[in-house]
Amino acid sequence: MRHITDEDLTLLYYGEHDDSSLAVMVAESEELSARYDALCDELKLADAYQPPRRGDDYGAEVWQQISSKLAQDDSKPSDRLKNWLGSLLQPRLSLAGALSIALVAVLAFTLGRNGSQNPGSGPAAPATATQIALADIDSGRLLTHSVSAHLEQVNLVLTQFVNTSATSEKETEYATDMLVANRLYRQAAESQGNHKLAAFLADLEPLLIELAYQAQSGSTATRERMQQEVKDGLLFRVRVMNKQLNKTDISV
Amino acid sequence: MLTNFFCFQANLSHPPPVYTSEMSQSEQKIIRKAAKGDRAAFRQLVLEHSHAMFRLAWRLSGDESAAEDIVQEAFIKAWRKLSAFRMDSSFKSWLHRITVNTAMDYLRKHVRRKQFETPEPEWESTDHAADLPDTGKQIDISRQTQAAMMDLSEAERTAMLLKHYEGHSIEEVARIMEITTGACKQNIFRAVKKMRIALRPLVAT
Repeated sequence: MRHITDEDLTLLYYGEHDDSSLAVMVAESEELSARYDALCDELKLADAYQPPRRGDDYGAEVWQQISSKLAQDDSKPSDRLKNWLGSLLQPRLSLAGALSIALVAVLAFTLGRNGSQNPGSGPAAPATATQIALADIDSGRLLTHSVSAHLEQVNLVLTQFVNTSATSEKETEYATDMLVANRLYRQAAESQGNHKLAAFLADLEPLLIELAYQAQSGSTATRERMQQEVKDGLLFRVRVMNKQLNKTDISV
Repeated sequence: MLTNFFCFQANLSHPPPVYTSEMSQSEQKIIRKAAKGDRAAFRQLVLEHSHAMFRLAWRLSGDESAAEDIVQEAFIKAWRKLSAFRMDSSFKSWLHRITVNTAMDYLRKHVRRKQFETPEPEWESTDHAADLPDTGKQIDISRQTQAAMMDLSEAERTAMLLKHYEGHSIEEVARIMEITTGACKQNIFRAVKKMRIALRPLVAT
């Protein structure tokens, strides 16, 4: 019988466990039942965390409070335009965009490698148009160019980060996008044997994780510490690496 | 044996709402009108969702006046962003995401744990609380639960309350928090573990 963890019991408690037989296992085992009962007893107490009551007219009160602000909003149509223009000037990289670039790089490399390997291992499947096109791409260059574009975005985000005092929703969003893209590029670089680039991207990752998650929950002191770290060297390293990538088709 | 089996579903008199992405035709109509700038339609949305947003904001901040500010700010943001809302997703989840983000911003700007300076947290009795022996103990449990919640990291607290109190599925919580379901589960597991440790001494008393 497999070991049932507290995590399993937690998922069971919330009705989210994939294994429907777990409930039966718990019911049939004295030890598991005792553990499950303890979990229920303890979490039941958490239900005491109840907010103070609001009156029935609370919604109307909220509306009264905000309606004048909404009216001010309406009277300033330029604000919406300003926001829109602002968003155009922000560093732009959508997750979809980053992922698609990274995926093309990985796919191109994988197809290229598979194409060059095992020529006699079996009957070759007819190549699709995409495969033929991708096989022609120099996967190394594609990765280099993609990482270069990625580092430009990282540079923008980090520059913005060191120059602002409060975390914004957008900043966290960008950092999350960067993190996902960074991981994909690192994996692609590792697969290509470009260890120096992979190591550099690996060095970037902890900061991006912090930016994506810790910056949200961290204190002002945490943010200042992170800003200092970025200023002290990371930003410089990102710029230098990007320059190297841009210079050529150099293998970094 | 197994006295508490399925206790959450069975014993909780007011089970947390389960949100789905399905919206009624009339709600969609109201949202569409509001998105086009119809303030009367937006007022309807405010009236409908204020209480739920207050509960969420209060549990995130642990402070009544902060929660009121967060609700107002979140609605203003919702008004500004409404044209970007996609009808195929849940409006409640969308509002919750805005509320969570607004609360996080608010908490970063203001001194934390202000609520512990106030001597008595407001106590709302629930049917559930009726099982407990006396009011003094209820307040003690409420305080300790609140303290335990506020000791969680923001990510753990958000995941815990969206799952435990608001009844969102793990997938929904992950979407609201904009993290993976794996990361979401880990936050819930850590939060549950910490909450259990904090509340365990109260079970036997």
